[in-house]
Amino acid sequence: MSVAAEQTLSADEQDILQELMNIAFGRASADLAEVIDTYVVLNVPEVRTLKVDDLPEFISTEISEHDIISIVEQSYLGKFKGVALLIFPSGAGRELLNLFGDSNEDYGEDVSMASLEKESLMEVANILIGACVGKVVELLDDEVSFSPPRIIIEDHPRNAIPCEIFEPDSLATVMRTVFQFSERNISGYFFLINSNESFQWLKKALNLFMEQYE
Amino acid sequence: MIFEQVFNMINVGLVILDEDLFVCHWNRWMELHSGIQAENIIGSPIFKFFPNLDNPKFLRNCKSVFKFGNFSFFSQKLHHYLFPFKPDSTFGSEFNHMQQSCTMGPLRDESNVISNIYLAVQDVTEIAAYERKLVEKNMQDGLTGVYNRRFLDTKIQEEFSRHKSYHRPFSLIMCDIDLFKNVNDTYGHQCGDVVIKQIATKIESMLRKTDFLARYGGEEFCCLLPEANLEAACNLAERLRQAIEEEEVNFDGQTLKITVSFGVAYMHDGVENAETLLQMADEALYVAKKSGRNRVAAA
Amino acid sequence: MINTILIVDDSTISRKIVKKCLPKDREFNLFEAGDGLAGLEKFKEIKPDLVFLDLTMPVMDGVQALKEIIKVDKDAVVVVQTADVQRKTISNVMDAGAFTLLRKPLSPEAVAEVLRLIEGTGHKKG
Repeated sequence: MSVAAEQTLSADEQDILQELMNIAFGRASADLAEVIDTYVVLNVPEVRTLKVDDLPEFISTEISEHDIISIVEQSYLGKFKGVALLIFPSGAGRELLNLFGDSNEDYGEDVSMASLEKESLMEVANILIGACVGKVVELLDDEVSFSPPRIIIEDHPRNAIPCEIFEPDSLATVMRTVFQFSERNISGYFFLINSNESFQWLKKALNLFMEQYE
Repeated sequence: MIFEQVFNMINVGLVILDEDLFVCHWNRWMELHSGIQAENIIGSPIFKFFPNLDNPKFLRNCKSVFKFGNFSFFSQKLHHYLFPFKPDSTFGSEFNHMQQSCTMGPLRDESNVISNIYLAVQDVTEIAAYERKLVEKNMQDGLTGVYNRRFLDTKIQEEFSRHKSYHRPFSLIMCDIDLFKNVNDTYGHQCGDVVIKQIATKIESMLRKTDFLARYGGEEFCCLLPEANLEAACNLAERLRQAIEEEEVNFDGQTLKITVSFGVAYMHDGVENAETLLQMADEALYVAKKSGRNRVAAA
Repeated sequence: MINTILIVDDSTISRKIVKKCLPKDREFNLFEAGDGLAGLEKFKEIKPDLVFLDLTMPVMDGVQALKEIIKVDKDAVVVVQTADVQRKTISNVMDAGAFTLLRKPLSPEAVAEVLRLIEGTGHKKG
């Protein structure tokens, strides 16, 4: 099935988006160092357009080296609209808890280790996603709201990728990167899946961004 | 004008802070629940009134919202509350403090720069109380009030991984009421229920606070004994056996004598997984039954 | 006076942005390269007065390319442009011999200011 031209990004637009993502993630990385006091390496994101139906397969291929993973999902809502997925290999929660474990904080007896680890994953994901999405929309002159993050799965990656969040047949712009906390052995995958609804706006915003240089 | 009314009428606590985390606005809901008037707190650092907020996590999230314009969420599950207020309704009587779900987000000035952050505080005490009840129900056996099998299975898994990491000993005792079918057939199911309840109560009264007792099947119970080696577990099983043997169950003017058989299993390095341990206890119980009931056998 | 400029960046858009940010009232001899290694080769060939260098590039990254360029000519004027403005990155780049570091995306004002600085300090080759 061929896809209508208005539903795809031209090579130029793709290139602008790529460059914008570089800038946004670079800035996010710099500011993250200040906010969480740790150097986070955010690799240059890779931008591509995929059919929603192909998403689960694409993501699970990307992360196939891991047996068990945790996925934190958070949606963002503005003209730029979609879902962010942060994928951590198992054990990352414990590492993060050590990193940010505000040890003198008393959570009470009814809070188990497992839920503390989950909470650390969600907190870090919330900040990481907020930083990256925040910087992208800042460059594109938009503002977004965020839903609370949630852990959607802790299982084998094969059957873990949600695609029911989007209309079947629709296209998603996927921005994929790998991040690392430099002083810790923590790394993971980061996907921004932009919905088809915001596609026309994204196209326009990309061209507007370039216009300031014409 | 109208916006200001909403700010004060809404059934949510609203606080607005500046970049140095000084209070700029404090709505009526916050006044009512904190007992602090807006005019007294506005212009002061939030930490002056709520020193509990001066912690790395809160600060980190404030910084993040100022820097990225994202939202931060303080869930009731982990934090219980940000502001230590008294519970509002009778529903919260089991909580010392109002349970809160809080959100923090950015506010921008005319030139679109984030100049302030807001905190929205929602009272979720009632929901938390319901949830707690549901969680309790979910791990309880309806008839006896002791734990149910699902809960015990998770506990055994937990103990098992604890053993793998820290090599702490633990034991299981499988208990089965002898000839229970006869009780049901002779005296009826109501009587059977009374027997089961009384045995459960008796066993529970003889366990340590750190032990777990669950109804594992119809007339079958299982005790999980953390930190207990095989000898301690067998001693306990023997005391339970004797106590139950001496016990009388009264039902409908009649007196019944009940006995229970016990199978004990001890966690050691050769045991591959939690299921194997349960199976060992089951097999020991089978031996106890085979060799005449009302006795203790160890795996 | 700056005459020959080499722009090293893997993104064509980014190279386009650099070109658009150069002062409109002046003429430059512009050369481009799409990765660090190609940039280094081009540098040896044309000996430019000024290099705009991106940091994250395939084949040879910007920091490596910068070091190689300085090896070839210790007076080379290299302006690094990057989105990553962490203190650690800045000090890495400055230690390697960059003239300065500009934050992406470039603006005509920032570029004009840098040109003024370079030409004002007499920091030029030969």
